Amino acid sequence: MIQDYVMFTGVNILLAWSVYIILMSGSLSFANGAFMLIGAYVSGVLTVKFGVPLLVAAPLAGAATFLFGVLVGFPALRTRGIYLILVTVGIAVSVRGVVESIAYVGGVQGFGGMSGGNPWHIVALVIAVGAALWVVSRSPLQRILDAVREDELAARSLGINVVHVKLTCFGIGAGLAAVAGSFYAHYMLHVTPDGFGILVSVYIVLYVVLGGTNNLWGSALGAAIMTLLPELVRGVAQWRPTVFGLTIIALLLLRPDGLLAFRIPTVRLRGRSRPSRHDAARNVATPEQW
Amino acid sequence: MLLEQIINGIVLGSMYALIAQGYTLVFGVLDKLNFAHSEIFMLGGFLAVASVALGAPLPVAFLVTGGISGLLGLIVEVVGFRKFRSRDAHITAALSSFAIGLVMIDLAQKIWGTEAVAIALPDEMRIASIEILGIRIVLVKLAILALSLALVLVLHLVVVRTGLGRSIRAVAESAADAALYGVNVTRVTQLVFFIASALAGVAGMALAIRTGYANTETGFSFGLKALAIMAIGGMGDLRGAFLGGLLVGVLEALAFQWALGQLADVAVWLFMIFVLLVRPQGLFGAAGAKDTRA
Repeated sequence: MIQDYVMFTGVNILLAWSVYIILMSGSLSFANGAFMLIGAYVSGVLTVKFGVPLLVAAPLAGAATFLFGVLVGFPALRTRGIYLILVTVGIAVSVRGVVESIAYVGGVQGFGGMSGGNPWHIVALVIAVGAALWVVSRSPLQRILDAVREDELAARSLGINVVHVKLTCFGIGAGLAAVAGSFYAHYMLHVTPDGFGILVSVYIVLYVVLGGTNNLWGSALGAAIMTLLPELVRGVAQWRPTVFGLTIIALLLLRPDGLLAFRIPTVRLRGRSRPSRHDAARNVATPEQW
Repeated sequence: MLLEQIINGIVLGSMYALIAQGYTLVFGVLDKLNFAHSEIFMLGGFLAVASVALGAPLPVAFLVTGGISGLLGLIVEVVGFRKFRSRDAHITAALSSFAIGLVMIDLAQKIWGTEAVAIALPDEMRIASIEILGIRIVLVKLAILALSLALVLVLHLVVVRTGLGRSIRAVAESAADAALYGVNVTRVTQLVFFIASALAGVAGMALAIRTGYANTETGFSFGLKALAIMAIGGMGDLRGAFLGGLLVGVLEALAFQWALGQLADVAVWLFMIFVLLVRPQGLFGAAGAKDTRA
């Protein structure tokens, strides 16, 4: 039991971070469940059919999914941010459909025979990824990410290659989700494409929103709460989507533009002297407020 | 047989087109994706089941379903979009509308269960058919097709010919400029949500009548596909959404004919990704064409 809790909480924290990394650069991905599926299947095929050890197969699956993410993300990012959201929905639906039609990996029945998934691998990975993200948050790299997210035009004028930054983040997020999927699959012993539908991807994104998007601990906390709460409180399990959905809506409403409000500490330090661009846009859009 | 499948495809496509009109209307005006739209379509099926079960004749049931769906659309606008108007908030709006969709699915499952619910229409009505030029056509399909085409035509006329349509197009062009010219942007946005959601509800009812059942899964399996169709037709392009719907419907029916049903679902999304990559303005639109945008 306790092993299950550790495993699922750890996997969900890693998945939440995989979305958080993409969000840091100002993109949104509804495809991380699909990336997880790719990781689970690639590593599963490697360990079961080719006898590769899991600790080698998981990074390989992550690298393959990183490349996949970069390939599909590049053209979409080149055009407009909102296209990437649509493309990720498309990936989420089609990856599942394609895997379901490949007989080599069991089709709709799913793929089994993996073994050796250990919760402590996940714990170690959570600690390692958390440490890496923390180091990044203290480094100049974080300021580059902040610039890209808050104002692409300004970032570009500072010589930052916006597409490059966004694409790297998208690829790393995809790769991390795939690694999490590898360990998850080897713990579950058997996986089906059905288990990685678009709802899974949506839930991962909502973990991050619930926990707070402006630091990496928030995402981890959101994932942990949403994994453990339904297990421990039966009423929540039954009404999970409604409770979850209403909480998210309330959160977004009480902090308008909450998702993009990364600069809370800055605002506190400098005071609200500078009216933000967002407020200006809102005022123009609603003449009743004048 | 082939011709019959093509007709099936056009009927299917007309339902896709109805839903896609709603996606594209909202996208055109707000520049945001409304992920709750597919669930309003799903609820439309259940509203139809409920109103028919209460003994409402079909035309009344259509009005009730469309009306209530439209009102639900207003709720979606107030809760999910009103506060997230700035151009940068498209991620937030996508999330809030997705959250609303989740709540709708869950509540529908709590009320009607997770199994498909049959619509209480006599079978004779559902399978009555006529023969035209040697092809048997189920009357209900013809009625659905006629209704969809009529609704799309009315919508087109409203958007292109009326003062209201001019305000919608003005807001789509630039909300700030429209406001300066005295257009009530909030009112127009609400109206667009009402129209879009009413169309989705009617499409949901049409699907329930056509298949005989309402199902809580249709939002993701059927309704979300209209989102891909909207992107294929060109985001914000009403005519493109309509043509794209018909095209995908026919292709899907043909795929079904050749026993490729499973792959047809995937093909739509792959095609959408392809279109977004090489022709972001949509399959039918010219680059930068503004006149067909709603």
